[in-house]
Amino acid sequence: MSVATAAATRPRLPGRLRHWWLRRLAASLEHPLPQRRLFLIPTRFGLGWAVLVVVLLLFGINYQNSLAYGLAFWLFSVGVVVLLRGWLNLLGVIPGLRLPREAFAGGEARLGVVLRARRDRTALELYCDGARGRVDIVDGLGEAELALPTLRRGAQALPWLRIETRWPLGLVRVVAWVRHDAELLVWPRPVEEDEPVVRHGGAGLEASDFAGLRRFQPGDSPGRVAWKQWSRTGVLATKAFSVPPRQQLWLDYATCRGDPERRLSVLCARVLAHHRAGDRYGLRLLGLTLAQGEGEAQRRRALDALARFPAPRSGGMA
Amino acid sequence: MSAPRPARLAAPAVLADGRGLSGGMLRQLFIGQCMVLALHLAWMPAWLVALALAVAGYRLVQLRRRLPRAGILLRLAAVGGLVLALWLQFGTLGTMDGLVGLLLGVYLLKLLETHDRRDARVVVVIGLVTTAVAFLHDQGIPMAAGALLAVAWLLQSLVWLSGATGLRQAWRETAWLLALSAPLMAVLFVAFPRLGPLWSMPQMDRASTGLTDEISPGDIAELSRSDARAFRARFEGREPAPDERYWRVYTLSHFDGIRWSRATPDQLAVALERPGDAFVREGSRSPWQAQDGARFSAELLLEPDSRPWRPSLGTPLESDSRQRYLADGTLEGLTPLSSRSLLRLSSSGAPPVNPDPAGERWHRLLPDDTNPRTRTLAERLWRESGGDPDAYLEAMMARFGEAPYRYTLSPPRLVGEHRVDDFLFDSQAGYCTYYASAAAVMARMAGIPARVVAGFLGGERHPDGHFTIRDYDAHAWVEVWREGAWRRLDPTAVIAPERIEQGPQAVDGGAETFLADARFSPLRMREVGWVNHLRLEWERLEYRWQRGVIGYQRESRRSLMAQLVGWWREVWARLDALLPGRGAMTTALGLMAMLVVAAGLVLLARRGWQHHRRQRDERWLVGSLQAWLARHGLAAHAGESPAAHLRRIAPQAGPAGRALEECARDLERLAYAPLEEAERRQRRRRLSHRVAEVRRRLPRQRRGPSGAGA
Repeated sequence: MSVATAAATRPRLPGRLRHWWLRRLAASLEHPLPQRRLFLIPTRFGLGWAVLVVVLLLFGINYQNSLAYGLAFWLFSVGVVVLLRGWLNLLGVIPGLRLPREAFAGGEARLGVVLRARRDRTALELYCDGARGRVDIVDGLGEAELALPTLRRGAQALPWLRIETRWPLGLVRVVAWVRHDAELLVWPRPVEEDEPVVRHGGAGLEASDFAGLRRFQPGDSPGRVAWKQWSRTGVLATKAFSVPPRQQLWLDYATCRGDPERRLSVLCARVLAHHRAGDRYGLRLLGLTLAQGEGEAQRRRALDALARFPAPRSGGMA
Repeated sequence: MSAPRPARLAAPAVLADGRGLSGGMLRQLFIGQCMVLALHLAWMPAWLVALALAVAGYRLVQLRRRLPRAGILLRLAAVGGLVLALWLQFGTLGTMDGLVGLLLGVYLLKLLETHDRRDARVVVVIGLVTTAVAFLHDQGIPMAAGALLAVAWLLQSLVWLSGATGLRQAWRETAWLLALSAPLMAVLFVAFPRLGPLWSMPQMDRASTGLTDEISPGDIAELSRSDARAFRARFEGREPAPDERYWRVYTLSHFDGIRWSRATPDQLAVALERPGDAFVREGSRSPWQAQDGARFSAELLLEPDSRPWRPSLGTPLESDSRQRYLADGTLEGLTPLSSRSLLRLSSSGAPPVNPDPAGERWHRLLPDDTNPRTRTLAERLWRESGGDPDAYLEAMMARFGEAPYRYTLSPPRLVGEHRVDDFLFDSQAGYCTYYASAAAVMARMAGIPARVVAGFLGGERHPDGHFTIRDYDAHAWVEVWREGAWRRLDPTAVIAPERIEQGPQAVDGGAETFLADARFSPLRMREVGWVNHLRLEWERLEYRWQRGVIGYQRESRRSLMAQLVGWWREVWARLDALLPGRGAMTTALGLMAMLVVAAGLVLLARRGWQHHRRQRDERWLVGSLQAWLARHGLAAHAGESPAAHLRRIAPQAGPAGRALEECARDLERLAYAPLEEAERRQRRRRLSHRVAEVRRRLPRQRRGPSGAGA
């Protein structure tokens, strides 16, 4: 899945070759980056540095100037050492991902990247799907969040993570691609309906019917303590009231208007609104019915269902 | 990492937009520019400092007030102003000084249009090039040290640009880079083949130090005012005594009545209508004189000069590289020296023995109508000596020895047409040029072929054995052709023998002019013991630096490589001799054996280390003890914990019982009790001792698979 996405973003090599090649290139999550998965690529500045060394060497030769020779050799040696230092800066870093808890289409998903290493590392750059970040690993741990743009609704494979570093001089780029199977579920983009949702009563959710006494617990409101009971028996008790049934409703795909994506967006907005209002709601999609429920779990179930809903061909069933 | 750092430097090099440079980074770049500029400043016009400050000030104001960037017009105007100023300074931009000035100016102006990371890196790279160009001025130790500082600063700027977050981190990384790359640099420096110049480049204009090839009164007094170094020499074998240190450089054979001047081989060839190779030949041996008379072999470290002169002690006979051997017994290089370089030369220590191909007549030429009083004197002396040239020369030298001739570095000026007359009969005071000129004229008046030799006399001997010859050691003397050889006559030696023995500073009356232009020269402090000691030490260090590092060119590399190969051969031979048998096969086998032994030692050390590590791991310790017990028939039951196992067998173990009990207790404590690290270590150590004790004390008769515990 991820390979397909990676290939789709760079459709230059034939797919299978690219597949094989990327498999060979990439390192995996939660393992120290191994030697064979680090790639040294000279930067433009690095090429300029090579030219500089050659120019200084020619200078030293033509003027028979020993110090110019020495400087040319020193800069060359610095270039060699930079290869080593840059390589060591990335070697053995353990990459990890922290998937965003929620992401709506049209916004951005904040993908957490957690890098661990025994030694301190400097100026590691992260690239993922156009987003970039910078991490320094201090005391074994470094974290960054990448803001990935979420364009479409649905389950999406995240592209591979690229970790690179140009430390210490920017002459060379040490690159590692990190393979992973992380999938991002993007919820539909919430769109408010044109006319406000008609709300049928149920707004006053004050508990009113006396249902009995229960034992006092610290934190109960003094207004609800059964003081009479206390004066009679000396036992602190709290009056309990039953809550009237909240608004029970169904969010139905079929009753929405517009193209499928718009309907899903409207449903998404309504799920959010009802969740905020504390309503009990169920969801009816084509071929899928989510029983009525409430709370955070219901919200997540509903939004996930909306995200995974296979959109019918546009213009089909309206 | 989290150490407190100065707040002003904690700002990253690049602004939050990922492109623009922060003010701190611009300051970094500016300081780097100042350091590179400082390397050049002794040789370049001082207004470059003002340029640097102006550019930095402009950027500062621009950053503070958020002004727009410098426009193209301003930048063009700045470059135009720079070119104009350089042109006014040097008259042209074509000279090396002008080009270096242009490079420096562009480097400084580049800060005007330095806005992002890439620009900053370009500035640093130009800075590195400019640092290398500074080596054209000088390659001494101070320059090298300054360049090292500048390069370290520039590298540190690059580290900032790559995302350093703190001052300490940036400097630590820079130090690592420099330290790790230094060995490789040294190896490359020693091993890289040295090539000749690939194409000709514009050269630095050097003010000619040392001698002029034309002597008229005044010249050498100028030299004696300077303490600039002319060259340094180290002798292999015998060193010359003070009165043998006559370094010949030029012969002056043409006299026009006022001044002696040099006739170059080309001029002679044209004037006498002879082929050029009659007067000069290239090679590494003298074609004019046999090599068997070589008495001195010297290694010269020559200062750069715009003329190709090479000094030689007496007549040059053989050199380590191709040179131009002149028929008058002097030496020239093929090219002028643009930097200090080494020359190995063996020479005779005496004037040449070959006749000058210009002929005796050429060396007797005199203008007829000048110096009549001298001519009268010469005729009188010639008559008195009875027509014997040797007696005549002796009488002439004796006359110089008589008072009232005196040696002085500040003689009265002579401006007349008959200067030799004026000197010999009126002023009677002068220095070597005056006496040499007069003596040569008088010799020629008697028909004896004579010429003036310009060169150096003396030199300071350093405690480590090398000689420094300075400008004030310049000297002139006379050579006359007598009986198949040139003979040296030094009238100065008659008048002021201390000049020959001790150098020009020893002469009375020379003191006020001696080193007049070098007011702060450490050479003025010769009498102060510790200052002189410090100066000598510094010069020794400098000489080693120049000879070993700066002079490390083709010849020295070849000889060092030969030496290294020689050492390697010697080591190889020793190895060969150590091993039984002879030949490469045994040596190779021996080497392989050594490799195997080394590998074995490494393996052993690793095993030892692992064992050491395991001693710290109680589970491994007890596990191995249990395995050992199992081999002795005391295996654990299935599902039995190690501690229970040890406790169970303790009563049967006799003398090892107590140790087993203690093992079990320690193991449990280590496994379950929350212990301090110190106690944990102590218990582990005790456990390992107990385990060893169990192994020692367990009764031997239990050995063997008796199955007692099963």
